Amino acid sequence: MNIFLQSLVSGLLVGGLYAIIGIGMTLIMGVLKIINLAHGQILMVSMYITWTLWYYLGVDPYLSVIVSVPVVFFLAEAISKYLLNPLIEKESILPENQVLMTVGIGMVLVELARSIFSSDYRSIQTSLTDKVWYLGKVSISVPLFIAFVVSIVLTAGMFYLLMKTDLGRSIRAAAQDKVAATLMGISSEKITIFTYGLGSALIAAAGSVFLPVYYLYPDVGPIFTVKAFVITILGGMGSTVGAIAGGLVLGIAETFGAQYISQGYRDAVGLVIFLLVLVFLPGGLKKFTKV
Amino acid sequence: MKNITKVFLAALLAVSFLFGLNSCSKKETGPIKIGVLLPLTGSKANFGEMEKNSFELAKAEINKAGGIDGRALEFVYEDDTGKPEVGRAGAEKLITVNKVPLITGGYSSSVTFAAAAVAQQYRVPFLVNTGSVDKITEPEAFNLTPKDGDKFYIYRLNPPVSEYASGLESLLQEVVKPKSVYIIHENTAFGTKGASSFKKSAEKLGIEVKGVQSYTEGTVDFKPLLLNAWKTKPDMFYMISYVMDAALIMKQARELNIKPKLFVGAGAGYTMPAFKENAGPAAEGVLSATLWHQSLPIKGAKEYFDNYVKKYGGDGPDYHGAEAYSAAYVVANVLKRCKGDYTPETIKKALDKTDMMTVFGPVKFVSYGKKIHQNKMKTYVVQWINGELKLVWPKNLANAKFEYPINWDKLWK
Repeated sequence: MNIFLQSLVSGLLVGGLYAIIGIGMTLIMGVLKIINLAHGQILMVSMYITWTLWYYLGVDPYLSVIVSVPVVFFLAEAISKYLLNPLIEKESILPENQVLMTVGIGMVLVELARSIFSSDYRSIQTSLTDKVWYLGKVSISVPLFIAFVVSIVLTAGMFYLLMKTDLGRSIRAAAQDKVAATLMGISSEKITIFTYGLGSALIAAAGSVFLPVYYLYPDVGPIFTVKAFVITILGGMGSTVGAIAGGLVLGIAETFGAQYISQGYRDAVGLVIFLLVLVFLPGGLKKFTKV
Repeated sequence: MKNITKVFLAALLAVSFLFGLNSCSKKETGPIKIGVLLPLTGSKANFGEMEKNSFELAKAEINKAGGIDGRALEFVYEDDTGKPEVGRAGAEKLITVNKVPLITGGYSSSVTFAAAAVAQQYRVPFLVNTGSVDKITEPEAFNLTPKDGDKFYIYRLNPPVSEYASGLESLLQEVVKPKSVYIIHENTAFGTKGASSFKKSAEKLGIEVKGVQSYTEGTVDFKPLLLNAWKTKPDMFYMISYVMDAALIMKQARELNIKPKLFVGAGAGYTMPAFKENAGPAAEGVLSATLWHQSLPIKGAKEYFDNYVKKYGGDGPDYHGAEAYSAAYVVANVLKRCKGDYTPETIKKALDKTDMMTVFGPVKFVSYGKKIHQNKMKTYVVQWINGELKLVWPKNLANAKFEYPINWDKLWK
């Protein structure tokens, strides 16, 4: 029973982390209709910003969100404006090439990071990183718990933004039908640039709260690009609530798989679920959550 | 007209002959290029960097001391990114494009094995210095028999993974006497082979193996694995991991309050400076098998360690760096014995006769069991004590007292 509870708690906490990684991608996928394969690399950029601030200035990783989020937001806006959007306008270039472009952007980011920071592994040690709470015999890692809370807050914020504000309505309109949205006076170009920035800013926040739990090196990104992709499909493209549900499902499934089948098959469990959803529930969990 | 053609042809012949002669008689003065295959990017880049730095350090020293018969030694690096298919292509490029007569390096087992097949195919000697899965020096894996030494182009400086724990065995037998062990390993060639051979040695020593579990590199959450393992209450954990997985495993074991008599790593990640930096207090007291330590009474070991720290800073190299540094010296030694004929066949013959001392220990390629061209070595045991990696076993070489029994409550405070 104890082990069951521990798995459930660990799975939920890891799932929260997955959710926050997935939300950004689902948003970008919903509006730009592309798979952002530089997603994990943007996470890596944010983690390096957080690490640099902590290492040289002693800034707490949670506080450094104030820096990492805007920096990444503007970086991503620039990427979107000058690198991704021009590809839509050219008739001769297939829109799919934007996806290839994100691969290239990811590579450039990784090699830049390597040339600046070298390949050394970095991690952060603060008073919080090794802290653990015990509920009975179940251990709860404090930094993971904080990451979980942050992801809930961010999702709630995203939900509010998308549902209740004009900006959010414009984003949803552009996601549903670009032409119609343009006819209604929404600049779809501005919206796509903003959405790419917003999606990246979300993952930047994820990077800052994730670093105390994990570690960092230039090639850390791809693992999380794959996770984000799986979550997006699980949750349904463009659905924030779906993404958080997808993240939690993936986290719990992986943890239980690792506990009761084998840790070696941890990723396999996640990918089997991914395949099952694709076959039996196309459209993902969005079907149940509606938004 | 005919005459002119004849004269022209004769002149051409003469010129080509002259050039031909030239290349034979004129002494080459350019650097001798040797290929090095290492993971310089990707998740194993940290190890690759340490090895490259060590190769460069050795190269500078060798060239300063006169190089190879007056010619400079030069290493051509090829990045294998930690992936077997890239490693294969890298080895092919070194042989066919860079035309190196000898390849060295080779980090992860699966990459090294793939590259070894290429070297074998092109008949270019490959001096492996880190890749440790057993089959790399077993000719049977390449459709040869142990008698085919003259057709087998792979040589290995480091011991195979099945022998990593040989030094540890005597420590377990004489001091700790554990009754049971739980084995955790990365699901790669290196991890799987290491786990199965440790399982065998444990059974031989009368230690009950409570379980063996694998995991995938880069896992975020090791808690399910650790809980399953701890449920069986083993006396010790034996873990085969690369550096950051190692750090996370120990961090999470500490969080879960898992306190066996011993945590033992199988080298690889557990001896790296990055392990201590990233695991923080959770690294304290952890033991590891190792192939080398700077305090060993080997000539030059300490100097190498100090020179490395002086040149590159940081906490200094572990056994991976020493392997690379020594490989460079073996290369220089072998080339010097080629007497100017730097072709793969001559180099292979020189490799066969290698018998020298390096900072990593004596190097001589011998045959035993299924293996040939394998350097036989002792292994040691180290422990993290007060943030430093100390040699604790064998006792007569140790530079610190083996902390046992380990008071985890005190170390993990």
